[in-house]
Amino acid sequence: MESSQPLTMETAVPRFKPPEIPRDIIIIVGGYGSGKSEVAVNLVRFLVEQRPESKQPISIVDLDIVNPYFRSREASEELERIGIRAIHPRGGERYADLPIILPDIKAGIVQNSGTMVLDVGGDDVGARVLSSLADSFSEVDYDLLFVLNANRPFTADVEGCLKMMGEIENACGLKFTGIISNTHLLEHTSEDTVLTGLKLAREVGRQTGLPVAFVSALAEVLDGIDGEKIKVPVLPLSRSLLKPWEKKSRHGNTK
Amino acid sequence: MAKILMKGNEAIAEAAIKAGATNYFCYPITPQNEVAEYMSKRMPEIDGVFLQGESELAVANMLFGASSTGKRVFTTSSSPGISLMQEAISYMAGAQLPVVIVNIMRGGPGLGGILPAQSDYFQATKGGGHGDYRVLVLAPSTIQEAVDLMMLSFHLADKYRNPVMMIGDGMIGQMMESVEIPEKYTEPELPPKTWAATGARGRDPIIIKSLYLDPNLLEDNCSILEEKYDRMKKEEVRFELYKIAPKNKLLIIAYGTMARICQTAIDELEKEGISAGLFRPISLFPFPEDAIYKEVTKKNISDVLVIEMSTAQMCEDVERAAVGKKPITFFGRTGGIVPSPEEVMEQARKLTDKRKPKPGKKKA
Repeated sequence: MESSQPLTMETAVPRFKPPEIPRDIIIIVGGYGSGKSEVAVNLVRFLVEQRPESKQPISIVDLDIVNPYFRSREASEELERIGIRAIHPRGGERYADLPIILPDIKAGIVQNSGTMVLDVGGDDVGARVLSSLADSFSEVDYDLLFVLNANRPFTADVEGCLKMMGEIENACGLKFTGIISNTHLLEHTSEDTVLTGLKLAREVGRQTGLPVAFVSALAEVLDGIDGEKIKVPVLPLSRSLLKPWEKKSRHGNTK
Repeated sequence: MAKILMKGNEAIAEAAIKAGATNYFCYPITPQNEVAEYMSKRMPEIDGVFLQGESELAVANMLFGASSTGKRVFTTSSSPGISLMQEAISYMAGAQLPVVIVNIMRGGPGLGGILPAQSDYFQATKGGGHGDYRVLVLAPSTIQEAVDLMMLSFHLADKYRNPVMMIGDGMIGQMMESVEIPEKYTEPELPPKTWAATGARGRDPIIIKSLYLDPNLLEDNCSILEEKYDRMKKEEVRFELYKIAPKNKLLIIAYGTMARICQTAIDELEKEGISAGLFRPISLFPFPEDAIYKEVTKKNISDVLVIEMSTAQMCEDVERAAVGKKPITFFGRTGGIVPSPEEVMEQARKLTDKRKPKPGKKKA
């Protein structure tokens, strides 16, 4: 599948509200495979579009130390080309799943140097890495957003989501500030998939008192959705983390 | 049955439960850790056994013991871990014990790296352990197929009373795809496990072993095994064809996710006017040699291109099957680097160009 052109905000605005991201530290957590990395990559791209004049850097921090592949660092060259600072281990460690926490991360948080989107590994296991940064977070305002995919086995209902959210909060020592409704089935995602997921996200929001920060979905799926049906902000997605057979005209993996 | 999104490792774990696996032993290693993680959550729910051993050696011998009771047992690991299990796999084959072993392969040799590879083909199909034995080897290319083959593996292990191995490169374990997993695996009926050690009250004890000091008895056991492997060669050959057509000049052979990359390459080559077809072995032992011979020897085929994430391991079996009837070219990447569709296309173009008549050359 050729990755389609991202639906730009100009085309999306008439029907959907863009996400409002007032804080500078945005931490993306959630279950395994909820789509955190793809959301994080698209979110930094959106922030660059939104703040073209910004003097402060926009960074993406790959804090996934539990997954060995399909992490946001795979998109770092593409993001660096549009001026985003990609923070992740370099050299051989780039390909490892070792608990490496670069000093740039703590420095970036406490020195308040620009906007940072932190892409964290899945489940409570992946979120535990944040506890080592807990001191830094105590001084700043942050958003801790739970990425919800209703088509994943452990977050298919309210009960499952609440359990996982509790486990993640316990592991990282931080409190959620919102939910990202990212329900999808990859290439089998339909309008219905997105709307059914949003219903679950709203219910989880109602029970936890948290807002649905935004809905994220593939731009081509959003095209078919009536704007009236989604009353929360929307982040259109264009896939960056593709499998090798989905890449048609790009070369190699590395080298 | 609704589609859900699953990571390969989780789907493999859930498929094993649906196929009736009640005992899972493991030792952690990337890139298959999510199987263990998933099983640690699920096994208590079905009153099954989840046990993390002190090493892969311990795990493989736990499989021997648990399988002797007739229960469905399995483990998952990755390349270096599978190396450590080889002794016990040979023992289980010798003792005719059904067991399912999953290898989510990473780059080697040695500790290598943690990125995807297909470099354990020899280890899986030619026997990493000692003695005259074979392991039935299956290789899925999608997560749905991993689910289906995982369930089938338990059936085949019981049917043949032999270890069955499912191998996938790291991507099979790590990638997400939408899958449907049935509530229960339905399979053809199997004979009761009268060979299992379930307690000797009221009957003679059953001894499960691979030791035969009398050479005649050892040869008898080897003959029983040989008959089973011959039966597998007749009954368990599996493969898939893609865009096989009389206009094709080129036949590409690849297995696992590598075959999907080749499919993309074939679709793109078609747009350039190069028509190629794909042969994808699903069973690696038994290897679909007759079917490959049939495709290779078709009149329209002038070249065979074998693509692997290794340095030509399966390619040796292709050469054996093709018995020199057509030229075979190999292309592979190692170290965890996955050949891209573009690289496969480049190889195909080179072969096609080579066959084009050279312009301007006069016949003598």
